[in-house]
Amino acid sequence: MILLSATLAQATVCSEFRIGGVGVELMLLVTILAGIHGGPERGALVAFWAGLLYDSVTTAPLGLHALVFPSIAMAVSSLERRMLRNTLVTDALAVAAAVATGSAAVVAVGEIFGQASFDPGTLGERILVSALFTTAVAAPVNRVVAWAAAAGLPVTIELRRDQS
Amino acid sequence: MAAPRPAERPRHTLLILAAAALTLLTLQFRGVEPLDAFQQGVRDILSPVRSVVERVTDPVRTVWGGIFDYGDLRGENERLQTELARMRGETLTAEADDELLERLLGEVDIAYTDLETVVVRILGTPPGNFTTHIVEIDKGSDDGLAEGQPVVTGAGLVGRLEQVDRARSIVRLATHPDFRVGVRLVGSQDEGLARGTGDEDVLVLDAGIRADALVSVGEVVTTSGGRSLFPADIPVGRVSDPDDDTEFRRTIVVELAAGLENLSFLNVVIGAPGLGEGR
Repeated sequence: MILLSATLAQATVCSEFRIGGVGVELMLLVTILAGIHGGPERGALVAFWAGLLYDSVTTAPLGLHALVFPSIAMAVSSLERRMLRNTLVTDALAVAAAVATGSAAVVAVGEIFGQASFDPGTLGERILVSALFTTAVAAPVNRVVAWAAAAGLPVTIELRRDQS
Repeated sequence: MAAPRPAERPRHTLLILAAAALTLLTLQFRGVEPLDAFQQGVRDILSPVRSVVERVTDPVRTVWGGIFDYGDLRGENERLQTELARMRGETLTAEADDELLERLLGEVDIAYTDLETVVVRILGTPPGNFTTHIVEIDKGSDDGLAEGQPVVTGAGLVGRLEQVDRARSIVRLATHPDFRVGVRLVGSQDEGLARGTGDEDVLVLDAGIRADALVSVGEVVTTSGGRSLFPADIPVGRVSDPDDDTEFRRTIVVELAAGLENLSFLNVVIGAPGLGEGR
């Protein structure tokens, strides 16, 4: 449900409200937060489906974002576990860096697959604006993804009766 | 007693997901129909919702645009004022140019304005941040549009339809780096292949033209037709740099007749032979 809602928001509100032609990378944000809250494996799975849905609403070939997003989720999850201290500022910087990295990775992989329609002159600026704009809306999305990750955690402890 | 937690194998999962994504990409590039249909289906489902959201958020978007695009609006205002001053000075020469164009098109005996077209409105850029030189329009296959159809304005060629859903379509502009069009230099009747470069309002003609062809600055360039996806004799632009001092490969710069900035309405050519039959 969260992925479908995010896809809907990405295709509607996030496309309508842009700064300098750049909108919020909501699906990438969900991917990053899924990596943080869900761990590397679940994060990668969520990221894959987020990427596929994102591919479906953009002009990108099916599989482009789905190829990049799981690696981003897994990398974010790994780095998050290694962080000694989390503050609001470090979290925001981490999300911004992850969005910028994810965006650059999508562009690079797109270039490999012949999707070279971006403007190299404004690419850096677009990535920066995208990272800042996406980070600005990260707090409410973070709550939703954290809630979803907590609600969907598998039961890992089972009490068994002694059969003897 | 606690049951053992299933061991996470993130690297294996990542490899499987990457393989799945690469398989999808490969199938997509090989033109497997169900994948295109899936993407088109998702977009068709979302299309009415997007239209509703666009209507609902329109007032807010106007305010948003006023705040965040103020610099662009001011620049645009200055550009329009400069353009107006230039146009006033060029009114007389424009009339002469029109006559020249009519005469040149008359020589090849086809009036491109007679082509059957559908008027479409530009909705803006489609979702996604890193794809430029494409715009989204408000009509699709329900209105008779099909992939590959040429898109023009009264001034000339703008691009072609790249992706057509039921109620919306994507136009690949002529400046897109992957855009190709067969063109003819009206004065010399030489033909070649022009391509977008990613630069604003400029095409480059660097294939098919003889190195010794006589090309002059200001020469009118039209589509060549033939085996091209585009019908013949749609105005493309004028030669701004004939590159006539080259010794090997000629790179002629063509300035597009139709300005691609700040477009609102376009015409999709649907009534020409051979159109809409795939790429």
